[in-house]
Amino acid sequence: MAIAKHLGFNERIGIGSLALLPKDHLYDFVDQLMEEFVVVGPVAKGSEFVFSEIRDPEQVRLDYETTILPPKKVLHRPFQTLFSFREDGGITEEERINKRQVLFGVHPCDVHAISILDKAYGSEYPDPYYMAHREQTLIIALNCTQVGKNCFCHSLDTGPSLKEGYDLLLTDLGCSYLVEVGSESGTGIVERTGLALAPRVKMVEKEKRLDNARKKFRKRLLTQGLHELLEENFRHPIWEELIKSCLACGSCTMVCPTCFCYNVVDKIDLSLKSGRRQREWDSCMLLEYAQVALGHNFRRDRDARIKQRIYHKLLYYEPQFGTLGCVGCGRCISACVKKIDITEIIVRMRGE
Amino acid sequence: MLNPFRPEPAVIKEIKKETHDTTTYTLTFKDANIQADYFFQPGQFNMITIFGIGEAPISISSDPDNRSSFQHTVRHVGNVTNKLATLQEGAIVGVRGPYGTGWPIDLMQGKNVLIVAGGIGLAPLRPVILHLIKHRAEFGKVEILYGARTPNDMLYTDQYADWSRQDRFRVLFTVDRITGDRQWPHRVGVVTTLFQEMESTPENTLVLTCGPEIMMQFVVKNLLQRGFNQQQIYVSLERRMNCGVRKCGKCQIGPKFVCRDGPVFALAELAALPEETLGGVAIE
Repeated sequence: MAIAKHLGFNERIGIGSLALLPKDHLYDFVDQLMEEFVVVGPVAKGSEFVFSEIRDPEQVRLDYETTILPPKKVLHRPFQTLFSFREDGGITEEERINKRQVLFGVHPCDVHAISILDKAYGSEYPDPYYMAHREQTLIIALNCTQVGKNCFCHSLDTGPSLKEGYDLLLTDLGCSYLVEVGSESGTGIVERTGLALAPRVKMVEKEKRLDNARKKFRKRLLTQGLHELLEENFRHPIWEELIKSCLACGSCTMVCPTCFCYNVVDKIDLSLKSGRRQREWDSCMLLEYAQVALGHNFRRDRDARIKQRIYHKLLYYEPQFGTLGCVGCGRCISACVKKIDITEIIVRMRGE
Repeated sequence: MLNPFRPEPAVIKEIKKETHDTTTYTLTFKDANIQADYFFQPGQFNMITIFGIGEAPISISSDPDNRSSFQHTVRHVGNVTNKLATLQEGAIVGVRGPYGTGWPIDLMQGKNVLIVAGGIGLAPLRPVILHLIKHRAEFGKVEILYGARTPNDMLYTDQYADWSRQDRFRVLFTVDRITGDRQWPHRVGVVTTLFQEMESTPENTLVLTCGPEIMMQFVVKNLLQRGFNQQQIYVSLERRMNCGVRKCGKCQIGPKFVCRDGPVFALAELAALPEETLGGVAIE
């Protein structure tokens, strides 16, 4: 079914334009996207949500709070073959031509996380596997009008609204989604799907709904003086408590949208003459992570690993990538079986 | 897009046994053009692949002026290096690099150089020693302190005579212990015992050190007590690495990526970090 074009505006569609997507046209819109792109969006999985390739538009669930894994998984794949090799050194690289994909319904925190990954993988010796996926990916983001119980993006300025990093940006206005155009590619989608343009006044309604969302946050992570706080509290009693509690299972890092570490392994074929070099997500929380030959381990102690994660996210990303390494998605809190909470660690350090 | 993870095939031209567990390999890239374009700074490393086993960072140990081949002195202690021990001359390995920072050759110009090495830690310093010999007039006095576990664990033993006879070169040795009834004209004890007979002073001197981190910890502490400062001491660190190009994250110390910001660091760069993150190089 085609969506009737609004005729009341002469404004040309471009970056910064506004359009409306009526909610009862959402599935049609997704259907139209699917003709052009692989569409990856939020779908229900049991009582939770995951990003998954959309096969049927009606699977899409824009009422989700957060997904188990961030959409990172379609850019920096959990397992990625780097190349095939023969014993004699002959190498065949994997085809890196991917179909254009749309990441649909991505929350602001996850869009911020992708921009951090862009810096980690895109700078100096760009990672060809990440970049191949990334360059083929459009982002249709979704501002948050509802807030998960572990969300704290508002205190890191990574949500609940988004300012950049999207091709299109949706905001739930009740009966329809406001659509903001963020790029040429986004312009093309609005044109091809025939979305009706929306008047500027809709932005007022958008802000009202986002202000309302901002009141719903139950957690926060104050960034004021955070660097000094962390530098001064390398020996705070909280670390001793965390050693007793943390199982060093790595769940927090597996669900983190900004974690970029990986391990590399060679998988050899049965002939023992050829094989594949693969990489897989790794975690600084795991014992073997910093182990070198002869078994020496630079972070054998669990407290060194716990500190590495927290200090990396909140202190070391800044000099490395010019931004905080935490986007406040709260997944590490949800994933922790021992209920370790990064916001609580900072609250304790501040002595609040 | 260029693939920085793709190793280039290189041929093992020569194998020379250094000790019971350490070997020096002479390599050239199979592709003559790649070999012709390849050069490195003393202190840099390559990622070495044994196809089917994996990849490991290994420092380059040859003369940087030699553009026809390059060498790695490898201690056989891990999966990749143990497999390397089984290969014969003519075998193919994968190589990519060079990566990382080198020793501060430019800053060393006109200065005295003190080199303190322990065990396999001499390997990444050998390119410096060869450079100092070849460009002798550009540098001041050179003193090399080398410690190993036993006399049989010492690397490059056939080259010490050449090093010692160089103008304004002084080479001192020590071992942790002597095996059997072997004659040993040098010192017994950890490498810092050589500081007692060392002639180097903090004045106009740069220090380069590499070895186990516990050794470097004592070397650094001792040198600081003797009036050397953190700006004139350079250390080379070992860390796990899966990429060599600031991607896999394994080698991080604080905000530093050892593969890119190191492996050679001025001690002053590390001193700003919390001491636990240094994995043993405690700086007091």
